[in-house]
Amino acid sequence: MSEKKILEYDVLVVGGGISGGEAALNLANLDYKVLVVEKDLSLGGKMIALSKVFPTLDCAACITTPKVSEISRHPNITIMFSAEAKKIDKLGEHNFEAHVHQKPRYVNIDDCTACQLCEKACPVSVIDEYQQGLIGRKAAFIPFSIASPRAAAIDITNCTLCGACERACPTGCIDFTQTDLDYVVKAKAVVVATGFKLFDPLKIPRYGYGKYKNVITSMQMERQLAPTRPFNTILRPGDGKMPDNIAYVLCTGSRDKSVGNPICSQVCCMYSIKQGQLLMGSLPMADVTIYYLHIRAFGKGFNEFYEQSKEMGVEFIKGKIGNIKEKENGNLILRYEDIEEGKVKEAEHDMVVLSVGVMSNSEISDSFQGESLVLDDYGFIHQNDILASPSETNIDGVFVAGTATGPMDIPDSILSAGAASAETTSYLRRAVL
Amino acid sequence: MKKKIGVYVCHCGGNISDYVDVEKVREEIEKDEGVFLAKTTMFACADSNQKDMVTDIAEKQLDGAVVASCSPKLHLLTFSAVAERAGLNKYNYIHANIREQASWAHSDDKVGATEKAIQIVKAAVAKVKRSNALEPIRVEATNAVAVVGAGVAGLRSAIELAESGSQVYLIEREFFVGGRVAQWDDLFVSNETGKELITRLYDKAMNHKNITLFTGAEIVENSGSVGNISLKVKVSPRHMKLNCDEGNLEKAIEVCPVEVPDKFNFNITTRKAIYHNFPGEYPQLPVIDMEHCTRCGECEKVCKNVDFSQQEEFLNIKVGSVLLATGYDPYEPKNDEFGYKTIDNVVTLPQFKRLVHYCDDKLVYKGKEVKNIAYIYCVGSRQVDGENKYCSRYCCTATIHAAITAKKKYKEIYNFHFNRGIRTYGKQEVLYDESSRMGDIYLQSFEDHPPVVSKVGDKTMVTIKDILTADKTLEVEADLVVLVTGMVPRQDNSIGSLLKVPKGRDNFFNEIHMKLRPVETVIDGVTIAGASQGPKNIMESMNSSLAAATKSFSLIAAGELALSPTIAKIDADNCEWCGKCDDACPFSALTKTDVNGKQVAVVNEAVCKGCGMCMPVCPSNAIELIGYTDDQIESMIDALVSTH
Ligand SMILES: Cc1cc2nc3c(=O)[nH]c(=O)nc-3n(C[C@H](O)[C@H](O)[C@H](O)COP(=O)(O)OP(=O)(O)OC[C@H]3O[C@@H](n4cnc5c(N)ncnc54)[C@H](O)[C@@H]3O)c2cc1C
Ligand SMILES: Cc1cc2nc3c(=O)[nH]c(=O)nc-3n(C[C@H](O)[C@H](O)[C@H](O)COP(=O)(O)OP(=O)(O)OC[C@H]3O[C@@H](n4cnc5c(N)ncnc54)[C@H](O)[C@@H]3O)c2cc1C
Ligand code: SF4
Ligand code: SF4
Ligand code: SF4
Ligand code: SF4
Repeated sequence: MSEKKILEYDVLVVGGGISGGEAALNLANLDYKVLVVEKDLSLGGKMIALSKVFPTLDCAACITTPKVSEISRHPNITIMFSAEAKKIDKLGEHNFEAHVHQKPRYVNIDDCTACQLCEKACPVSVIDEYQQGLIGRKAAFIPFSIASPRAAAIDITNCTLCGACERACPTGCIDFTQTDLDYVVKAKAVVVATGFKLFDPLKIPRYGYGKYKNVITSMQMERQLAPTRPFNTILRPGDGKMPDNIAYVLCTGSRDKSVGNPICSQVCCMYSIKQGQLLMGSLPMADVTIYYLHIRAFGKGFNEFYEQSKEMGVEFIKGKIGNIKEKENGNLILRYEDIEEGKVKEAEHDMVVLSVGVMSNSEISDSFQGESLVLDDYGFIHQNDILASPSETNIDGVFVAGTATGPMDIPDSILSAGAASAETTSYLRRAVL
Repeated sequence: MKKKIGVYVCHCGGNISDYVDVEKVREEIEKDEGVFLAKTTMFACADSNQKDMVTDIAEKQLDGAVVASCSPKLHLLTFSAVAERAGLNKYNYIHANIREQASWAHSDDKVGATEKAIQIVKAAVAKVKRSNALEPIRVEATNAVAVVGAGVAGLRSAIELAESGSQVYLIEREFFVGGRVAQWDDLFVSNETGKELITRLYDKAMNHKNITLFTGAEIVENSGSVGNISLKVKVSPRHMKLNCDEGNLEKAIEVCPVEVPDKFNFNITTRKAIYHNFPGEYPQLPVIDMEHCTRCGECEKVCKNVDFSQQEEFLNIKVGSVLLATGYDPYEPKNDEFGYKTIDNVVTLPQFKRLVHYCDDKLVYKGKEVKNIAYIYCVGSRQVDGENKYCSRYCCTATIHAAITAKKKYKEIYNFHFNRGIRTYGKQEVLYDESSRMGDIYLQSFEDHPPVVSKVGDKTMVTIKDILTADKTLEVEADLVVLVTGMVPRQDNSIGSLLKVPKGRDNFFNEIHMKLRPVETVIDGVTIAGASQGPKNIMESMNSSLAAATKSFSLIAAGELALSPTIAKIDADNCEWCGKCDDACPFSALTKTDVNGKQVAVVNEAVCKGCGMCMPVCPSNAIELIGYTDDQIESMIDALVSTH
């Protein structure tokens, strides 16, 4: 057992997505010392992987990367990657103790120049989770081109310890002797910003995800549309053909009691409409059809964006999908109830995108010792005083930001992070008074 | 002139390089004398490139830098910061926009786009050659914030700011606090009433020594700039003395002969000229509505607390920042829009909420018991012909919630929802589900085929071609028609005009950037919160008000502000004070001052925004704009018209 280092901060932020990052930045700007504990290898959460964002169609990379680099170089912010808070104990007001466990990266971040020679040298190929499994990557790899930090990591589960990368690395920053690290973190307040998980479409076998190659998820489409995309165009995974008749199945895994999720995911209508518009741009000849129950285009500029997509030629069918079947040529037959006509119909498309929902990701609640962190009926973190203090949890001194409270888009996540940092500031000031 | 300039040309991941040949731009620029190095990069803003730039500037001792990328609105600050980190003064960094100005504007002409990009970058290089290191102007910042509007958003941000340590002036135009939420009973997503929520917030605010509340108050004048804003506040009198006696007051209200429609109840009831909206409202002191008071003096006879001698007062306050939380108005339907004002049992959702408040065990409107209620959604929102193209966001949920509440309160009613596709996003979906299970009927049409409300004999009929039943035409006889009116910006936007806060497409106050800076405005020091920025429910208003409080506070928390030094500079030798610049300046930054016995114009450094309006009007060419000197601008023009 390695000896535990003790670190002290004003605030511990769990999760380095856009919400955690924004909260950390607000607090750091007020001169509080912040530790961000991020499970992954990069900051930015889901947002950094998106293509363009609704309703303004800003390129996600263009607006995320500067935020992320501001966070990473702020003198008041420390970031721990590949790290998780395993135990969080409230010892008293303004007195939290967390046990943070950090997995080794096997690369010394500061010395890595991201030259990618290790990637070339590494003989092991595995599925690239950052490209949503659309392509492969090596066991020695840079997570993605705009990752922050942009530095290599060794995927030790798949590494064969052949040592090729170590020999190839010109700066000698690969270090297989790195071990797990454990820290004791003392903090006066905690912000939980652990974000969300995507619905796993394998839970709805009748849609054929995992069985039919040309049925993909919206996150996979998001990667295909991003500037840092794996292929330079949109391709069907089945045969590499450019699709020309794409269908979207909205509410996949949302508003569906049969999969245990009665709520609406709030973002999938809009991101599907956005993808529809982007597809019209990159594949001008393609048809895009969106099968929906209701269109939730409620935010600032959203309804206008929806109307615009109709004008651009995206087709909207109010319909419930029964099942999806594959044809020999890889095309897909959607059987659906056309609500407007009150008939069951079939339609053929050459690619189907499942607009998967936003699910809770709140395992962090198990880390709390003593008083547990209460979750709501859907597994999101319970908001204790939702109308007056939306980021308050049941534990005084623990605040919640972004999609950890429930589904929401980026503008709402940023506002929620602003609220969390405001309430954290008030709480910290009470320690001084 | 500089000789070691670094130029970085960005692909913007294809946003630029799909139309502009960035490699060609790099090659052309490299030839420019003074350019020491020129590089291309996939994402100039990415951390890795920023690191590269820092290394280049520091190690190669560059004396100027240019990044050719997207709009300076997005990334000017990013790259100035890079320069600073590398030890280069940030005014020796110049931004060239080849995305909005070249690649996006000319996506149909790659050659032309590339040519234009080259010229834009050349102009930036010409400017940076002539740029100088500048230091920011430091001014003291007042640790006080004016919060305008004491609705939920204003109250909450006031509490937050006070707890953070700022002085807060909470300025409410009405005589009572709470804004719209004071008008609602049961609220969705909690089991609280509006009154309870306002009571909680009001108590918390009033218990904080840092908060001063003004009611019946309005900002009428504004000068200065971020950090030091002077405001003149007009406070209208209540005409009531502070310690009021309940019994006498009730008598005073009774004897008042004036009866006017009660705005608080959206005119479904009337009130007297001396009034309070409801017992227990805050502040707990009635008011005399001087617009309608006839000065008959009846109230004075029965209540000695009436005081007609109170006068309007003007207060001058000084703050570092202004937080606007002025909320919204409910949409007012046009005459005969779905029978409004022409058919007698047509009301709006806000009126319906007040009606349910007043009816105890039976729902009665205009003397008739109500059984069938038809709700018509999206009135004033999602308009096909009108200007309001947006969705008002709160109303599907608010209507379903109101319908459930009514059904639980008066067993014998039937709810019919004439909607355009229900938008109970997120967790609000469970309310929709609950209402369907309670037997509420949903009928849907598209935007262009709204339902029709008509009078047939003495019956009010609502007809729809319902897309949920294969376009069947369905008809419901309604005892009450509720128009689900959307949110519109405050009709009286005088505060917005006074502070020059821009409005968006939807006419609500506009933020700088929806995702990066959602509560800040282009007016430095002015933040926006709650429904004044766009439709929001309470939780969303709270999030935005807390975020705005954070931004306002962080502006002034340090006690000092660094302002941009790119402002006007007067050459006193040439200035002959004609006053033309003073007339042209939109910020009143110039004053006539005696300098060594000569009357000249002097620039107030904390107020000047560097807009340049004064420069062209000066007959003796005595004004120069620091950072945009004639020399720099002329060199840029030369570069732009040159051919290479
Ligand atoms: C396909 C798709 C398209 C979208 N498109 C748009 C769009 O165009 N516009 C828009 O506004 N919104 C869009 N969204 C929504 C947007 O992605 C979210 O609003 C946003 O990412 C929420 O950010 P977050 O920080 O709350 O959560 P996340 O992005 O999930 O970030 C959470 C972070 O916490 C880390 N973490 C999780 N658990 C732990 C732990 N226990 N310990 C330490 N770290 C942890 C994660 O690794 C991650 O980095 C889209 C969503 C999807 C799925
Ligand atoms: C019928 C209806 C029912 C609703 N029900 C719910 C519900 O159940 N749950 C929910 O979450 N949301 C509900 N809402 C939404 C809720 O009303 C808003 O979210 C909330 O009122 C927004 O608060 P605000 O403070 O931004 O604005 P407001 O409530 O409009 O308050 C703004 C305040 O600013 C003052 N003001 C305006 N201009 C000036 C000026 N120039 N100077 C000084 N003061 C000024 C106003 O007098 C007012 O007091 C409902 C809305 C409607 C229309
Ligand atoms: S680990 Fe070494 S070889 Fe791999 S990218 Fe970093 S510097 Fe290059
Ligand atoms: S946002 Fe749209 S697609 Fe997503 S769950 Fe809600 S209704 Fe369905
Ligand atoms: S929230 Fe519902 S009622 Fe309101 S404008 Fe949007 S769709 Fe119409
Ligand atoms: S540049 Fe001239 S006109 Fe503009 S604010 Fe300054 S003094 Fe006024």
